[in-house]
Amino acid sequence: MISRVADYCFWFGRYLDRAESSARLLQATRTLVFDADIPVTQCWAPLVIVAGEFEPFVKLHGEPALGNGETVQEYLTWSGDSTVSLRRSVRAARECARGIRDQLSLDIWEEVNELYHWLGRDSTRLLYRDNREEFYRNVRRSTQLVLGLVRSTMLHEEPMSFLWAGVMLERSGQIARILDMHHHTMQREGAHDIVQVALWMSLLRACSGAEAFMKANRGRVSAQSMLGFLLFSPDFPRSLRYCLRSAYGLLRRVWSGPSDDFELHQSISQLGALLDWLDLRAENPDLDIIHELLTHVVDETGEICKQVVQEIQGPPRPQTAQSQSQTQ
Amino acid sequence: MNEYIHGVLQAVAAKTLGLLEAYEPLAGTYDELVESEGRPRAHTRTLFSLLSRLSPRELARHQALAELSLYSQGVTFSVYSDQQGTEKIFPLCLVPRVIGAREWAAVERGLVQRITALNLFLDDMYGEQRILKSGLVPADLLLGAKCFDPKLRGIAPPGGVRIPIAGIDLIRSPDGVFRVLEDNLRTPSGVSYVVENRLVTKRVLRDAIELSAVRSVEQYPIELAATLRALAPQGGDGHVVVLTPGIYNSAYFEHSFLARHMGLDLVEPSDLFVDGDVVFVRTTHGPRRVDVIYRRIDDAYLDPEFFHPDSLLGVTGVMRAYAAGNVVLANAPGNGCADDKAVYPFVPDMIRYYLGEEPTLAQVDTYVCARPDDYAYVIDHLDQLVVKAVDEAGGYGMLMGPQSTLAQREEFKRRIIAEPRKYIAQHRIELSTCPTWDPSNERLAPRRVDLRPFILTRPGETWVLPGGLTRVALVQGSYVVNSSQGGGSKDTWVERLEP
Repeated sequence: MISRVADYCFWFGRYLDRAESSARLLQATRTLVFDADIPVTQCWAPLVIVAGEFEPFVKLHGEPALGNGETVQEYLTWSGDSTVSLRRSVRAARECARGIRDQLSLDIWEEVNELYHWLGRDSTRLLYRDNREEFYRNVRRSTQLVLGLVRSTMLHEEPMSFLWAGVMLERSGQIARILDMHHHTMQREGAHDIVQVALWMSLLRACSGAEAFMKANRGRVSAQSMLGFLLFSPDFPRSLRYCLRSAYGLLRRVWSGPSDDFELHQSISQLGALLDWLDLRAENPDLDIIHELLTHVVDETGEICKQVVQEIQGPPRPQTAQSQSQTQ
Repeated sequence: MNEYIHGVLQAVAAKTLGLLEAYEPLAGTYDELVESEGRPRAHTRTLFSLLSRLSPRELARHQALAELSLYSQGVTFSVYSDQQGTEKIFPLCLVPRVIGAREWAAVERGLVQRITALNLFLDDMYGEQRILKSGLVPADLLLGAKCFDPKLRGIAPPGGVRIPIAGIDLIRSPDGVFRVLEDNLRTPSGVSYVVENRLVTKRVLRDAIELSAVRSVEQYPIELAATLRALAPQGGDGHVVVLTPGIYNSAYFEHSFLARHMGLDLVEPSDLFVDGDVVFVRTTHGPRRVDVIYRRIDDAYLDPEFFHPDSLLGVTGVMRAYAAGNVVLANAPGNGCADDKAVYPFVPDMIRYYLGEEPTLAQVDTYVCARPDDYAYVIDHLDQLVVKAVDEAGGYGMLMGPQSTLAQREEFKRRIIAEPRKYIAQHRIELSTCPTWDPSNERLAPRRVDLRPFILTRPGETWVLPGGLTRVALVQGSYVVNSSQGGGSKDTWVERLEP
């Protein structure tokens, strides 16, 4: 397939999942504020930090605003300045979708388009003001619907492989960030074991993983087992290991044709190495090294994403495309 | 969504009168639906009786649904002047425009004749230039056309077809005669709306479409794909792509629509590169050769090496590949010299010269300011004429004499004196009208329309899409049908010829 189209597919998947996980994260943090006995700043500030928006946020709103849930939510939901805001992610996803309109089914396109227009409506601003839960739920539903339509209405060929690899890599990066953030908060607060369990539980719920975890562990809960589940479960589709494995399989499938030089695809070997590395740690999960582990995963997935984009594009291109007007 | 429709229904009272009861055609114009006494024309009887049974409220509801469906499907164009990238739907009026079978057959013949002659003219201009030597047409005017590029002389397109895709703008004068207003031989757009409009209209007026035996338009993408494949140097299995400037282009929806419906790859300039005078597209599995490019990019932005050395746009070297016969560009570069407004007055002469036939399709009498007699007449009669700048399109750079102010006329006089070659003038033609939904008065009102048929040509065969894009000036009293200036569109029904 055409390199640019593969690139757009990859990014479409990433933006889509980013929008979904932003909504998830914001919603989960609102719950966290009620569930946990920790200072409000500790709840909201990490969101800004993991989004990589600390500096622009502080410049715009000042440091004390990091403790203000409303300001943080407004910023991460609506801001046109923040490149990671929910609204920007949806807009970017739609732009990608426009560029690959010929690859997507009409159902996918209509739903993305509808979400984009919905976010722009005044009535949606009112919903955000008056019923925040419902607002986040709507965004999640809508993005999940698109993700479902991708798998149920697109040909399972190369475009979908790149798209879904984007979803999976974005998701693993996001999961690693959330886990690290929670872990960090708990360490700082020196939370008691019971509080820790409550916190991990709320995080599991945010990942729609509470029931799956209970099934897998037959109701035995501990901070260690919950963390282990989100990191290493081979069967839960939102665990770190599952997402990375899935991305690995998709990229291998794409680049294993007769005309491909497998060796050239560093993204695949790097992803394979990361999985091996994780597998080793899965055998003996250690809460003490968790921060190092997560930082390594975040850095590596970031690198792998860059690598994928480079390999999609092939050698550097001589020109860039821009728009012009047309007259006829 | 329901809120919106509910709002529309609240606004339109439950009128019981049929839609056509208060409809009055404009005096002195040809109405596409009814004769001057308000009776339906022979070929519009079915539609007329259907509209008579429909209430304004029902039509308003259908209109609202149709607009919503176009919007949510993203059948939109970008408003280029708007930095926010605002998207609008091209408004659709559900009341169709109907053309009789016989009438259409004559138009079709005229279009084929015209395109054939224009193709020969382009071959000649970029070849021997026999027509200039014949003295039939003013050589300096034709050679001076802005889009005539002497660098292209001697390059014959592989396959020999220079205008595979054409859009010819027609209007209908009060005597009921279709006349050519303008030729579009470069990258004519609008055909996606023809297909989409039919899909939407069908939902509401399915019975009438069947009863009126309306000819189908949905096959356009298939015909276009066949046309493009037929141009490939090696025949049917060539690799054909659609080239778009990108998602910010105002016609991007159409580019993607056509690619999708033809099952062809949609590429941007940066996806292509040229190596050894052969065009390739970058794919995830390495470069792949391209044989035919349906390019929806103007000549000027096609190849920086050839046209605009300082431009960053386009595909460097694509013109070398074209000249070497390794790639087909549809349409061929340089076609602008045949659809130039200053060249238009001479098309009937071209038909006579190249085909030895009389033109069967009328056109609008035109004053060419480059000719001294015409120039003097135009300067003296600005208040009666429509003056057009030859290198502007989209309804810009025009003086509507009868509706103009003295200051506007003085301004145009200055411009014409400074550069006579840049201007042509025509008497204003009363465009034909068609009953059109007027939301503010909740009724059908006569609004002016034009018609852009699309003509596809492959070696040895020319095919005309039945009907084409009917554009309508939605504003009362307006003559401007362009989408950028308050125009809308209608479905166009061409009646099937009885066997």
